Amino acid sequence: MKWLDSPQDEAERLIREGLDGAAQRTGDEITHRRVWAKVAEEMDSPRPRIVGRFLLVGSALVLVFAAGALAYSYLPRHAEVATAPAPAAPPSASQPTTPIEAKPVVAESQNKAIDEVPISEAERAPGHVVRTRVGERARVGLGGGAVADLDENSAITWDSQHRPSVERGTAHLSVPHQPPGWRFSVTAGPYVVTVVGTKFDVRLANHTVEVDVSEGIVEVWRGSHSTRLAAGDSWHGPLNPEDPQPRVAPAPLAFEEKKGEPAQSTFDKGESKLEPHASHGVQEAQAALRAGDTQRALDILTRAAQGSGPAAENAAYALGHMMRYNLDHPRQAVALWDKYRTRFPSGLLRIEADLSIVETLAQVGDARAALSEADAFVARYPNSERRLDVQRLAERLRASQAASNPR
Amino acid sequence: MGASNHLKANMVQKQFTKTPSPVPAAIADAELVRSCRAGEMTAWRSLYDRYAPLVHRFSAALGIPVEEREDATQDIFIAVYRSLRHFRGEAQLSTWIYRIAARHAIRLGRRRRSRELMRATILREKPQPTVDPSERSTHLATLDRLLGKLAPKKRTVLVLFEIEGLSAKEISDVVGCPENTVWSRLHHARAEMVKTARRMVP
Repeated sequence: MKWLDSPQDEAERLIREGLDGAAQRTGDEITHRRVWAKVAEEMDSPRPRIVGRFLLVGSALVLVFAAGALAYSYLPRHAEVATAPAPAAPPSASQPTTPIEAKPVVAESQNKAIDEVPISEAERAPGHVVRTRVGERARVGLGGGAVADLDENSAITWDSQHRPSVERGTAHLSVPHQPPGWRFSVTAGPYVVTVVGTKFDVRLANHTVEVDVSEGIVEVWRGSHSTRLAAGDSWHGPLNPEDPQPRVAPAPLAFEEKKGEPAQSTFDKGESKLEPHASHGVQEAQAALRAGDTQRALDILTRAAQGSGPAAENAAYALGHMMRYNLDHPRQAVALWDKYRTRFPSGLLRIEADLSIVETLAQVGDARAALSEADAFVARYPNSERRLDVQRLAERLRASQAASNPR
Repeated sequence: MGASNHLKANMVQKQFTKTPSPVPAAIADAELVRSCRAGEMTAWRSLYDRYAPLVHRFSAALGIPVEEREDATQDIFIAVYRSLRHFRGEAQLSTWIYRIAARHAIRLGRRRRSRELMRATILREKPQPTVDPSERSTHLATLDRLLGKLAPKKRTVLVLFEIEGLSAKEISDVVGCPENTVWSRLHHARAEMVKTARRMVP
């Protein structure tokens, strides 16, 4: 058939232009580097061998049966299923929820031991509530191996999208590592906390939502804005974002304040501000660069880097990249990458920043600084795919230093 | 001449100059695969650098939304890493990666559609597509709308032919169907696309 061969045809022009644009949609380099950091991390953690996997599955099955038998014999005496009306929907669920009759499950134990509250898949429905009274604690299975330990006087429900939602009090959550492509989400007020596998606490108190991470990495989302928290980080935000800032003591900053500069935290620790998607800023800057407006591209990146979260991290790294490769200011690039790693010492692009600094210093002829950076790189990343290259570079630098100082 | 082989006709413009890859681009895929199988991380990085833009572009054209694209690319490369030992070298490496990416995109699409269907049925809530700020240009948005109207199988064939520049033989290897079926799906996909585009033009 004839296909896109009439230059005057408006419909064909639409398709032609779209196909041209789609061929160029290859993603930006910063995104590729971020993804590589995650892929390399996954490659470093080997999967269990086949036999090991069978053993693992077998023991998991035995454990599941044992837990089921235990729950069957133990729980009916300790948990009571009431038929009180459904409580109000969580603040995040702005959509009308299905009028499912709620069955609040109240753990009766008066001691501090945690009661297992059995929740079937069908019961994890909007409106279903599990709550603890004063002096009670309960363990609630959330599906996918995730478990929530409710403190006394707390409640957890399921929102309109079938996500668990902390409604009151404190929930200590433990989420096993999720298979590729799967993420576990729990909501609290207007926020969605997303994780791949971790342990963290979600608390609702004094019109504030608080998240404390004990293991792994979690992301807190509100709409399209997010912040990322690592182990040891705390975050808080107003339950109603229109309210003025809640009076909560600020969480400790993870990194020491630099002399003469305001304290800056990695990934919004202790802040309620959420940042846009990680690729924002960098893509806008790329568009400005494409249009030949270098100054605007720099302004966009500088502004994005001043924020926090993944978007700021990417922008902070991209600033150095742009300075080095687009504007040809290697010294300034090194300074910007150095600033990046001070702000994001555990950032996804940290290894790229370290590598870029080594290469750039060697290229501008600062052998001493390059050598020191190269040695630090080899010590820091013994398993990196670039370790051998950096080692070779360090040997060359040492040889040239020895040749210039023959003593 | 039609509009096929857009990739070859339009060289991708590099906005952020790429730093040199640890392995020269001249190394053939077969050698790269051998090095990867030997566990050389440098080779893995090189393979990633070589195919990440392809996977990203292909995922975008198959309708993986921008917020899922990074995770999808990650999952596809992890799948490549885990199954490279099964790659027999009968097809090109790129064809094999396309196959993995296409399967993953279809799986994600199915999951997304069932999620949306559930929301639409239970909550009477319309799905809200998210748009990447860099993709707000009219022609890309229009193309995504046009591609979105096609059935997944037709869409995959059209994308592989028109955007990725594969031959019918290569596409038949990727999607696992006879060449004649590829031509037939392409013919119908093009016709449907033009028909929809005509309805969109005032």
